[in-house]
This record gives sequence, C-alpha cells and structure tokens, in this order.
Amino acid sequence: MTPALSRTDKIHAAILAAGGGGLVCAYWIAFFRSDLTLPNFVHDVTDPALIRLTTIYLGFESAFPLADLLVAVTSGLAAFYLIGRDAKAVLFGLIASGALGFLAFIDISFNLLHGLYAPALLAQDPGLRLEALINLTCVTGAVWSIWRLWGHPLRRADDRPSRAHSPGPNGSG
Amino acid sequence: MTDHGPEAAKLTPETRQVSLPLACFISAMALGLAVEAAAAALGLWRYRSGALVLANIVLAFGLIQGFGIGWVIGGRGALRGVFPVLFMVGALVGLLLEGLNLYWLHAWTFSDRPLLGIRRPIDKAAFLGVAWGFAPLSTVFLAKILVGGPLLAASAT
Repeated sequence: MTPALSRTDKIHAAILAAGGGGLVCAYWIAFFRSDLTLPNFVHDVTDPALIRLTTIYLGFESAFPLADLLVAVTSGLAAFYLIGRDAKAVLFGLIASGALGFLAFIDISFNLLHGLYAPALLAQDPGLRLEALINLTCVTGAVWSIWRLWGHPLRRADDRPSRAHSPGPNGSG
Repeated sequence: MTDHGPEAAKLTPETRQVSLPLACFISAMALGLAVEAAAAALGLWRYRSGALVLANIVLAFGLIQGFGIGWVIGGRGALRGVFPVLFMVGALVGLLLEGLNLYWLHAWTFSDRPLLGIRRPIDKAAFLGVAWGFAPLSTVFLAKILVGGPLLAASAT
C-alpha cells in the first residue's frame, strides 16, 4: 500500500518546488536581468586586481545555469511525484539533493580559495552575504533532503498507477 | 555598416523591441496549435471541452510560456547564456500546470496509448511537464528569426 502524504511530505514538496525549483530560477533571472545577486567588487573598474577577479568570478558563475537546470528540473519532478505519492519522488529527490550539494561545495571551494568569505568583505558587501547564505542553505537543505528521502517509506514502495487517472490494476507501466 | 531607405527603417533595434513581444506571443500560440493538433491526431490526450484547448493554446502557450517567460527572460538579449534559464523556468511552470491538472483540475486526461513508451499517466504528465521547457526556448528562437533579433551572439544586456 502506498504511504499517505504526511504534513512533513507536503512541506518537503513545497521546499523542493519553491526552494530547489523556484528560487534557483529566481536567482538566475536576477543574475541575467539585474545587479541584485552581484557582489560590489564587480563594479570596481579602477583596481586591476579586482577587474581580474571580476572576470574570473563572472566566468565561473556563468558556467552554473546549465548545471542548475538539472537541480531545478529534478527538484520539480521530486515535488511532482511526492505529491502523487509515487516512488520516483525518492529517485528525483536524491538526484536533486546530491546535485545541489555538489554545486554548493564547488561554489564554497571557489569562494574560499579567492577569499570571498573574509569577514571584512562580507561586512561591506550584501551580494557576498547573499551568496554565503545561499551556500549555507544549499548544503543544509541538500543534507536534510537526502536524510529524509533515504528514510522515506516511498523508497521501499513500487511505482504504481497514479491515483487520479488510474486505468485499473492491469494498467500500470 | 549603415542602413538606408525605408526597408532599413523596419529593422532598427527600436522596431524590434516593439514587435518582439507580439512575435513571442504568436510563435508560442503557433507552437501550441501544432502540439495540440499532433496530440489530437495521435489520440494522446483528450480535453474535457473545446474551450479548454483554446485556453491552453492562448493562455498556457501564448501568454505564459511565450510572452511571460520567453519574452520577459529571453527576449531582451541573445539566447547565449540565458537559454538554460528559459528551459528551467518553462519546465517548472509546465510541471506546475501538469500537476494541477493531474491532481486537481482534470481538464485533460491521457488516453491508454503509450507516449514514447511511457504508459502511466503520472509519468506522461511528468515527461510533458519537463518538455514544456522547450516551449519558451523554441518560441524565442522562432520569434527572433521572424523579427530579426540577436540569436546566439554575446548578450546585449
């Protein structure tokens, strides 16, 4: 029998859809269409060292949208299947969470190597504070999601015909 | 190179900015019409009423995916760089539409015919939800070809 959708499942589905899907999209729309997500140093055109860092930073960041596409789409699929109480929620949730954690650690590694977590920089730069907050949230969210999905009853459940459009007991794929 | 004459006046960036939103809207509706015609011919899904087909083509394809996502995100510069964002937003909105229909609205139902080997309605809805990601991408591509905007060159924004 398929486990019922608990209150925590509903919250988990909302986090996957809004956080893993919606916020990732919102971040990239803001990145391409505004300066909201950019650190202050990218606007400094007087210091050659900062100009070089800006080139590296923007080149590094612009490699992320295609990888984040995987996170956003698999998060959406995990939420979709979780609401339908289908075992594929676990598959897509683990892919999304694993990918999110992986990308977060790449970002953290870059920021550490380039000194972008320095307290003095964080104190004066809202863009860097936002980035640090995103890094922390991504790692925490990914670990929590993996932990929860691995212990979820759906992990041991078989795929089943959807509740809403079931063609009958012989119609499952 | 400098353009001259009345023909060149039609192709100025200002003219493109005005006409691109409409081109996105129309291109997306044309895409929707083609998808719905193909689905009807192949008997893949059925709508509860004819008005819902029209609503899907005008609202979901034209207004949301074409104008809302295609033009707002991808219409103001080149597609290079921003195309994964177009796909991810289109796919997430598509998954939302398919989920709303599958779990609550039941405006359309899938037939028993397999869709590229997929048999379960929930898997068909998930597959089509992700496939919606191609809608804003192909819409902007088509609209920019129609209007003559930058396609894959460096972003102008």
